[in-house]
Parts: sequence; structure tokens; C-alpha cells
Amino acid sequence: MKWLAHPWLTIRVQIALGIIFVVAALPKIVDPPSFAHMIYNYKLIPWSLINPMALVMPWIELLCGLALIFGIWKETARTIIGALLFIFIIAISINLIRGNAIDCGCFDVSAAGKTTAERIADMRFVILRDLGMLLMVGQLWFASRGAGSQPAEAA
Amino acid sequence: MSSRRFFLEAVTLIAAAIICALVANAMASRERKLAVVSQNVAAGPPARVPAKEPAPTQTIAPPPVTTTTRQPDIPTTTTTTAPPAPGTRHAAPKPALARGPFNPHPDKPYIEIHGDDVEYLHSKGVLFLDARRTSVYEQGHVPGARAFSVWESDIDEKVNKLYAERSDPKDQNLPIVIYCSGGDCEDSHMLAQKLWGIQFNNIYVYKDGFPDWQKRGLPIHTGSNP
Repeated sequence: MKWLAHPWLTIRVQIALGIIFVVAALPKIVDPPSFAHMIYNYKLIPWSLINPMALVMPWIELLCGLALIFGIWKETARTIIGALLFIFIIAISINLIRGNAIDCGCFDVSAAGKTTAERIADMRFVILRDLGMLLMVGQLWFASRGAGSQPAEAA
Repeated sequence: MSSRRFFLEAVTLIAAAIICALVANAMASRERKLAVVSQNVAAGPPARVPAKEPAPTQTIAPPPVTTTTRQPDIPTTTTTTAPPAPGTRHAAPKPALARGPFNPHPDKPYIEIHGDDVEYLHSKGVLFLDARRTSVYEQGHVPGARAFSVWESDIDEKVNKLYAERSDPKDQNLPIVIYCSGGDCEDSHMLAQKLWGIQFNNIYVYKDGFPDWQKRGLPIHTGSNP
């Protein structure tokens, strides 16, 4: 399992995860009302929290993504990103179980006009994709705790 | 990494995100701005207590006197509209379109209607409100419809302006049709709830929304003007 904590792999995972989160954050930062609508569609958040969440969460994603890319405060950024992914997976799973077909609002906040079946299929894919990203977080965590291995320095 | 350091870094990142969010939102254009307080986004609890439901035996509306071939097209939801209170049915002077099933219905925020009724109301010059995002509205909307996106920060301003235009209780009984994208779009219902909360009594939600309007080949306006 030494390869799993190899700096070569770690640095790439770290930067890739950072880029994914920066890319995911930008459309939400550009259009907060659409993202608020997406959050509303999840039917999980009280009214009072929808707008603050829609405003702040994309910036948390952006700053954590940048932190990973530049290797600054990467353990903290990694942990926050792991927590966000965990929350996303739970939120989408709950709606999948409810049969509430929603657009995930992960990388695109425009109303895509998809059918219910398409949305349900997308939600399943999104859960798998988020689990994959959670594995990337797991790799970073594993590498930082790996016996004697040096944490990756991105910058 | 110590937990204290983690905590400090996490708090700093989140604080920086909050500051960035507030600054970016303050600088955003009107259509991209989000009200920081969520109740501005869409309808909160209605400001008034709904009128008591009429007795169950009254929930089936009598066929309007002016029944035409349009009647079979009126959806079942409209037939559940409560008739006006006895004695007022023929007495109150009705606005141009408050006839048949389009009577004021203060006991419920909105009634869902379908294309034929919508077309009819549009032909009579009823006010249409487009609850979709302004950017989508500009790409095409029902002629005469005003942009009233519930997710944009100026929604309260628009609602207040509409209320100022129709401050007379008689005007609040005039029909208003609200639409969004049909399907599972709830924006028009939210806006209806909001308007009903400030005493508008005759609101209709175009259930199938703008896609149905397009499908019917009806005229469409583009741009930011109604």
C-alpha cells in the first residue's frame, strides 16, 4: 500500500480535487439566485438558511479548492471538502430515497429541463462521483498519516 | 496537525468565504443578487389567515351562466372553486374577467389552470407574471407578462409596486395569472402564495407553464420589456 501514499500520486490527487472544487464553485458564485433555487429543491434546509448557504457555500468550495491547488492549509481544506462531500452524498441520497428528482446543482445551476428519469439517473451518478471524490480525500488523508511518508507540497 | 490549528484555519477559511460572499453579492447586478435574508426569496408564511373553507357541499361550483364550449376544458381544479357567498353572487360588480370560474377566491392562494383558460384570460388582457429568472424571461415570455422572479433580490420591491398599483381592494380581486416553467416548477406557486399573503384574491397558476404556451404556438415576446 506504499504506492497509495506516494507523493507523486498525492500531489496529483490534491491538485485535481482542488481544480474540481474551483470549477464547481464558479457557476454558483456567478449566479447565487439559481443556486438558492437548487438548494430549495432539495427540501432539506429551513427557509432562513437557504440564502446564506447559497451565498457562502460556493466561496468555501472555491477557497478550499484554491488552498488544495496551492498547498496552503491543505489539511484543513481537505477536511472541509470531505465534510462537504459527505453532506452532498447524504442530501442527494435522501432525495433519491424520497423519489424527489432534482438537479444536483453541483457544476451547473441552470435549470436543465430534464425529465424525472434523467434526473434520477443523474442523481445516482452524482452519488458515485462524490464517493469517488471522497476516496480522493481519503487518499490525501492516508498519505498525510502514512508511515514516514512526506506530505505532498504543491506549492 | 493540532486540533487548535485546524480550528483556527477552518474558522479563517469560513470567515473569508463569508466576507467574499457578502462583498460579491453587494457588487452583483440586480438579477444576480440574492437577498441575504431568506424570506425575501420566496413566500414565507402568509401574512393573513385564510378565510374559512366553505361547507363541503358548496365546493362544487355551479356551471357559470355564461357557459360556452370552453367549459369542458376547464380543469377539475377550477371546478372546486368555491362559489361566491350566497347573495353576493350576482350582486357585486365584477371586473371584466371575473366571471364564471374566474371569481375571486380569498380562501385559497391560487387555482391551477391549463392552457385554454390561460389563453382566454390572456385575450382579455389579464395581468401575467413570469416567475422564472429574468435571464430566462428575456429569452422569451408571454406578451405583456412582467418579470417577477421569486429568487431575485428585488422581488419584494416588485411586489410592493404591484400592490401600490392595485391598492384598491376592488383591484385586488382582478385576476392575475402566474407562470413559470411548468412540470415540477414551484416558483409560480411561491409567488402566488406571496401575493395572496398581501390580499390579492384572484390568482391563477398556469400549471403547464411557458413550455405549454410555446407548444400552443402562441405569440412570444423577447427582451426585458413586457
